[in-house]
Amino acid sequence: MQTTKQAKPALSARLIDGEGAALARAISVVERDSPSAINILRAIRPHLGHAVVVGFTGPPGAGKSTLVNAFVAELRKRGRSVGVVAVDPSSPISGGAVLGDRIRMAEHTMDDGVFIRSLASRGALGGLSAAAAQVADLMDAAGRDVVILETVGAGQSEVEMARIADVRIVIAAPGLGDDIQAIKAGILEIADILVVNKSDQPLAAQTKRQLEAMLGLRAPTEHNVPVLSTDAINRAGIAELADAIETCAARTERRNDRSALAGRTRHLLAQAVSQTAETHVLDSRSEAIEAIILAVQEARTSLKDAARQVLNTLHKELSD
Amino acid sequence: MTITATIPARVLVTKIGLDGHDRGSRIIAAFLRDAGMEVIYTNPWQKIDSVVELAMQEDVDVIGISSLATDHLLVPKLMTALKAVDLGHIRVIVGGIIPDEEEPALLEAGVSCVFHPGSGREEIVAEVERLARAATSDRPEE
Amino acid sequence: MNKIDKTQPQADRASAAAEWKRGFDAQVASNKPIRNRSGIEIQPLYWPEEGTEPEYDEKLGFPGSGPMTRGIYPSMHRGRTWTQRQLIGLGRPEDFNERIKSILKSGASALSIIPCNSVYRGLDCDEVEPELLGTCGTILNTEEDMDIALRDIPIGELSIGLNDPNPFVMLAQMLVVAEKRGIDWTKVTGTSNQSDYISHFVANHMFYRLSLKGARRVQMDTITYLAEHVPNWNALSVVGQHMQQAGATPAQAMGLTLSSAFQYADDCIERGMDPEKFLERFTFFFDISISFFEEVAKFRAGRRIWARLLQERYGVSNPRAMRFKFHGQTSGVDLTRQQPLNNVARVAVQAMAGIFGGLQSLHTDGYDEVISTPNEAAAKIAISTQNILKHEAHLCDVIDPLAGSYYVETLTDQMETEILAVIADIDAQGGMFKAVESGHVQRMIGQSALAFQDAVETGEQIVVGVNAHVEQEDASARPSLERPEQDWMQGQVDRLSANKAARDQDAVAGALKNLRETARSKDGNVFGAEVEAVRAGVTQSEIIAALRDELGFGQPLVVA
Repeated sequence: MQTTKQAKPALSARLIDGEGAALARAISVVERDSPSAINILRAIRPHLGHAVVVGFTGPPGAGKSTLVNAFVAELRKRGRSVGVVAVDPSSPISGGAVLGDRIRMAEHTMDDGVFIRSLASRGALGGLSAAAAQVADLMDAAGRDVVILETVGAGQSEVEMARIADVRIVIAAPGLGDDIQAIKAGILEIADILVVNKSDQPLAAQTKRQLEAMLGLRAPTEHNVPVLSTDAINRAGIAELADAIETCAARTERRNDRSALAGRTRHLLAQAVSQTAETHVLDSRSEAIEAIILAVQEARTSLKDAARQVLNTLHKELSD
Repeated sequence: MTITATIPARVLVTKIGLDGHDRGSRIIAAFLRDAGMEVIYTNPWQKIDSVVELAMQEDVDVIGISSLATDHLLVPKLMTALKAVDLGHIRVIVGGIIPDEEEPALLEAGVSCVFHPGSGREEIVAEVERLARAATSDRPEE
Repeated sequence: MNKIDKTQPQADRASAAAEWKRGFDAQVASNKPIRNRSGIEIQPLYWPEEGTEPEYDEKLGFPGSGPMTRGIYPSMHRGRTWTQRQLIGLGRPEDFNERIKSILKSGASALSIIPCNSVYRGLDCDEVEPELLGTCGTILNTEEDMDIALRDIPIGELSIGLNDPNPFVMLAQMLVVAEKRGIDWTKVTGTSNQSDYISHFVANHMFYRLSLKGARRVQMDTITYLAEHVPNWNALSVVGQHMQQAGATPAQAMGLTLSSAFQYADDCIERGMDPEKFLERFTFFFDISISFFEEVAKFRAGRRIWARLLQERYGVSNPRAMRFKFHGQTSGVDLTRQQPLNNVARVAVQAMAGIFGGLQSLHTDGYDEVISTPNEAAAKIAISTQNILKHEAHLCDVIDPLAGSYYVETLTDQMETEILAVIADIDAQGGMFKAVESGHVQRMIGQSALAFQDAVETGEQIVVGVNAHVEQEDASARPSLERPEQDWMQGQVDRLSANKAARDQDAVAGALKNLRETARSKDGNVFGAEVEAVRAGVTQSEIIAALRDELGFGQPLVVA
């Protein structure tokens, strides 16, 4: 590694020291999977485990970003430093994205105690790029007390978010009405806290009751999942939300406790494996792959068997 | 973990000064997204130091300033502020209504390109892609 | 099912025509016959003969009554030509004063005041980087500034348009100036041009200052105050211009604007006001694009829809309340930087569309609009354009001359259908306030903007000099920019500090305290407190900062 004109400490050291510019650079290094990424990830390991990671997800129009903004303000009032990872979907066609979550958080731009990074999902399965987990780690190592992960509730992102976060918030907008039956299976299992935002709207109270009723129908779990009401624009119910999050965080098995970390790593690895395989199949023009595709088309081979065959060819190709 | 072979360019699209019309900047953001870039889009009336802070936090390659009135007159101050915090590799473009006689001052201050009304999608996208590549190769070593 | 009685329309039409003639004669002092160059006498109005075109009476009717399609007054421009109302804004108040006097001499009969961008943002000139000052409008921070700007201008005798967004500090300043000059407020006429805070939230963020809720409160307070104290002032101008300039199609712009008007009407009714009364003071402000026939049809359809829906929604029967009064401004968005003199032709065509659409007042852009606020030459051409259309093209001689055209009538009907669809969509969102809070309207407009951009990019829509008939130009083809002298602006900043230093500081503090308390209270009148504050010498930035604090600061919802 080239030395610069004045011996600047290594990027990871500056990051651990809390320097914002270093955190920003390190995030890019990890996102781009540059050669030095692995060094940074290793260097930060001893410094993980301090931050509480709070995940917010919910459908478009629920007021997620506005709620996160209000929550950040409350955290700052309580003297906590904050990192925000705001994930927006990449266009499946162009691969590009317009990342606009920051717009609702403009009031925090100049506050050193708040670091916001916008990420595009970059075609990751379910909408949460694997980098998001690593970015959360970087923010943790940089000394942020709370790391907020904000994702759009599409695809499997709630499930992915659940693995990365200590406390999982699912936001609903009032007026789900009959659509409440259409809520994807899994939301209620995932949420540690349910929030009905826009509580000033007439249907909010009803939606809250409907959600509570649905929770009541589930098999009883160890902990009560509270359903809270907030009005993010007028900053109502935010302190209560922050209290509920603190309570939840205190009792949760922390994300970097051994078993939690192992489980999460396993899932991330599974994701990485399937993405590698997927790229291989989609982009490859090798004869072997073409033959397998034809065999499936002509129903000579089942998809399941074909998949195993593909993994075999992948193994051969990677060994070369 | 890389999904795509190349990482999309990251472009900050913003407005400084007093003007608040954003039809143009919204269209530019859409152009860049459709060309595969990641656009960090902000509200208007950013101060110079908040643009610098945004550029730093988001580690962007290019900053696009939309200016319709006199707001572009502040851009040289932005160029200075970026250099002061080691972000001089970021390329800055200005688009909107800029009188011809005020363009040279912008270019002299280090602005890479000035786009006037009537500039087309292809032209803008190609230039931003080129500038993003240049910015990436100029990034300071870590 | 009744047979259509063919005799009935005849009787109705004849008597409707007679009634129209009575109204016309009452409005037109002397009806000297007008002859064209070939000696043919030109009637003020033309309509189908008895027994023909049975749909005429229900769909078109006569100007000033019935469906209102053909115009809101019996005599329209034949009786009184549209008001030339040119927007003016120039750096220092004294520069503005000079320019307005020159414009009035050239025949404008009304004036509009545009403040500096810094004022739009609610900042005084000492709070802003100097290079940003005074290039797009006049600096009006204090009552003293307003007094200088309007020196020797007869406030009680002219119609004044104030480009003065919520919370309407400029209006407060002007009222205090009038008061000091001994002018009775009942004589003050004009319009709060930028009173439509919803449109600012959606599409012209520069004018957006207080939170949506806060703006709503001040809006209602102001309308109430003016109804009582300044009864001839149009407190509300519902603005379609911003949305169309932001990319809304003409049908969308009209539909969204009407929806905003309904929202404001609902808010007024909730305050206990009588629609038969307050609707008379509603006016509209539209962009006029160069899509000529589309604009004519848009305005005719809008006028018809307004009259009908007011009856349907609010049971209004006062014909004066149903008048769709509007000011039109030729659209700067259609003008080009390339070959700027072409813009003179564009503006003329846009103006014609507005005239045939039946507007009440008109602003024509300068050909250099794309570069900046117009230089003096361009401003003069803009006025001359109106005079040429009036006097040489004789566009005032006949009311609604395009009526009966197969194209224009069909298009008017089709525009009506599109406009009603937009209104229905907004109704489904719960009204304009909600539709805008959620970003629904912004997304709609954004899509239209992109679609138009694509049309220009692909060449489907030709723009002369831009994507066709392009010429190599050098910079000298474009007019050079007037920038105010740096020391002129410094003079303005000095004036402000002198003004602040000379104030009665106790009075200022007291007025600000009163303003804040009023804002915090449930039923105090915020606008009244602003007028008090201006009397005490409080500056516009101080007023707006206090209101932002109490009522919330507006960050518009920017939809990426």
